[in-house]
Amino acid sequence: MNRRRTTFLVARREIRERGRSKLFLASTVIMLLLVGASTALQGALSKEPTYRVAVTAPAPSGLAAALERAAKPFDDAKVELRVVASRAAGTLALEDEDVDALLLLASDRLFFRSDVDPKAAAVVDTAVRELRRHLPPEPELTTVTLRPEDETTDAAVLVAYVGSLLLLTTLAVYGQWVVGGVVEEKNSRVVEVVLSTVHPRHLLAGKVIGIGLLGLGQLVLVAGLAAALLAAGVYDAPASLAGDLALVIPWFALGFALYATSYAAAGALASRQQSADAAGQPVTYTLLAVYFAGYVALSADAEGVLAGVLTMFPLSAPLVLPARSALVGVPLWQHVLALVLVLASIYALVRFAGRVYGHGLLHGGPRLDPRVAWRLGRQS
Amino acid sequence: MLVIDDIRKRFGAVEALAGCSFSVERGRMLGFLGPNGAGKTTAMRAIFGLVALDAGDVSWDGRAVGPEDRLRFGYMPEERGLYPRMAVGEQLEYFGRLHGLEAVAARTASTGRLERLGLGDRADAKVEALSHGNQQRVQLAAALTHEPELLVLDEPFAGLDPVAVHTLAELLRGEAERGAAVLFSSHQLELVEDICEDVVIVDHGRVVASGTVDDLRRASQRRRIEIELDGATAAWVPDVPGVRVVERHNGDLRLLAGRDVDPERVLREAERSGKVVEFNYGPPSLAELFLELVER
Repeated sequence: MNRRRTTFLVARREIRERGRSKLFLASTVIMLLLVGASTALQGALSKEPTYRVAVTAPAPSGLAAALERAAKPFDDAKVELRVVASRAAGTLALEDEDVDALLLLASDRLFFRSDVDPKAAAVVDTAVRELRRHLPPEPELTTVTLRPEDETTDAAVLVAYVGSLLLLTTLAVYGQWVVGGVVEEKNSRVVEVVLSTVHPRHLLAGKVIGIGLLGLGQLVLVAGLAAALLAAGVYDAPASLAGDLALVIPWFALGFALYATSYAAAGALASRQQSADAAGQPVTYTLLAVYFAGYVALSADAEGVLAGVLTMFPLSAPLVLPARSALVGVPLWQHVLALVLVLASIYALVRFAGRVYGHGLLHGGPRLDPRVAWRLGRQS
Repeated sequence: MLVIDDIRKRFGAVEALAGCSFSVERGRMLGFLGPNGAGKTTAMRAIFGLVALDAGDVSWDGRAVGPEDRLRFGYMPEERGLYPRMAVGEQLEYFGRLHGLEAVAARTASTGRLERLGLGDRADAKVEALSHGNQQRVQLAAALTHEPELLVLDEPFAGLDPVAVHTLAELLRGEAERGAAVLFSSHQLELVEDICEDVVIVDHGRVVASGTVDDLRRASQRRRIEIELDGATAAWVPDVPGVRVVERHNGDLRLLAGRDVDPERVLREAERSGKVVEFNYGPPSLAELFLELVER
């Protein structure tokens, strides 16, 4: 029987046994509901928005009424019209966030602060067109921003932090499943029966792949749904963020390969008295430390040296790279370097964990020193 | 045929196997005996590569045992273990498939095995929901689902009630008749004497005796003598050199004598001291032989 078949059988058992567990089904449903709830929340918050528009004196008569009418089709939006003395006064009001847009009828221009609000622009454009009795399709107004567009929008920050938090929790939860599975096999002693026909490396691979696929499936559903909603414009956020959010999925796979093998080795080294939680702690702490280092580095300066290093450092790359990509973008060479480094680390770790795992599993006594396990581990 | 050739294993200061050699033939049952700590479990684990040997070879049909061969072996370790939360039927199917059976064959074998063990209606039950005795049966089934060519069982009779002992003995008999080579360790020497053709006795990691039960008993340097004597004094001992009393119960005596001792001399001595109701002479039992060989 070839290795692939054995690994497949082990992975399939993990998926079948755990995939129908209440824990897995419930957590998937809850996460999907959370994504669904976030769209409802978005809908509730954006209901009947009020656009505050400034216009230089003298304002044409009927403008306020035209704006009201133009706003009607946009979720019953309200428009507050404010007449300012001059363009300078209007710019000041815009800068101070007293108004959202400034209309200069003399030059047919509509000013925003840093981001064009397409709905507000459409409302004002329709109103002006109505006053002048012009027909579509040519727009009456040119939209302008006072400052260059912000690269980092609030939505990007949200995607970055929610994305990396999602990664952290998924890695930790599914990693802990791996420890739990390893400790259960060791404590129920079934591992001796399994290892009489299965090589430890294939048992390790099957377990990590099986549980990893479950985690990936859940993440694809949840992150995939959120990314699809972003791309469809359900959220008040740039659609390009959908790609950054989707980046979470391949990086989960890479991060999981890295951390789950460590979790498996930790489980194999645990003593029979130790609980799975305690056995997995060293790895969970590493994961948390890396997450907070990334959080601090990105909050301080997403384009700084520390953030750059953490983007490529194998242990932190899975958490930091997708977040940084959403915040400020990551150059292609850093994507490539991070990928190469993390793949090399996975290779080294699988070799190490495979060897420690085999010996650790069959060792019934107290907690095992990894160095001893490495020395005694089967090589074949 | 399984051949264990001069296997050696040291765990720190403890020499678990010190050049242990024996073989198990297809269609035969071999009882693997030895005091606790003699190296039986280590030798059995070595067959499955669960122990990295320091030296020596384990071969099957003339070739070193590899992963492919182990698919056709069945193993029941001393420390029993199954997936506690997995359904019984699926569990047997899983182990069948790990041993190379295809999906349909594994399902058929699993169902058939459970029927024969009287657990046909428990296929969907989780292992942890079964009684201890039934868990033992499932454990055995896990080693048998794929009809192994070599069956290795570490203390399969430990903790079984007499009925279960009988059933298991019959089952192992059947496996050997099917053509499997059966190797099991046990401390129940009377049982081994009854059901095994061959025995191997190990002590301190070495084989101290091996062969058929009859040959070993006959080759022993000792003979057992049982006398039922009426009217003798309670402390009567035959005055024959090389004879000693092993057990005395009212008028019943069990003696061990050297092979060269003339039994008729012992009988004459007995007749002088009382009425001999019964007199038996023969090779020692396996239990006596065992004690003779592993005396510390």
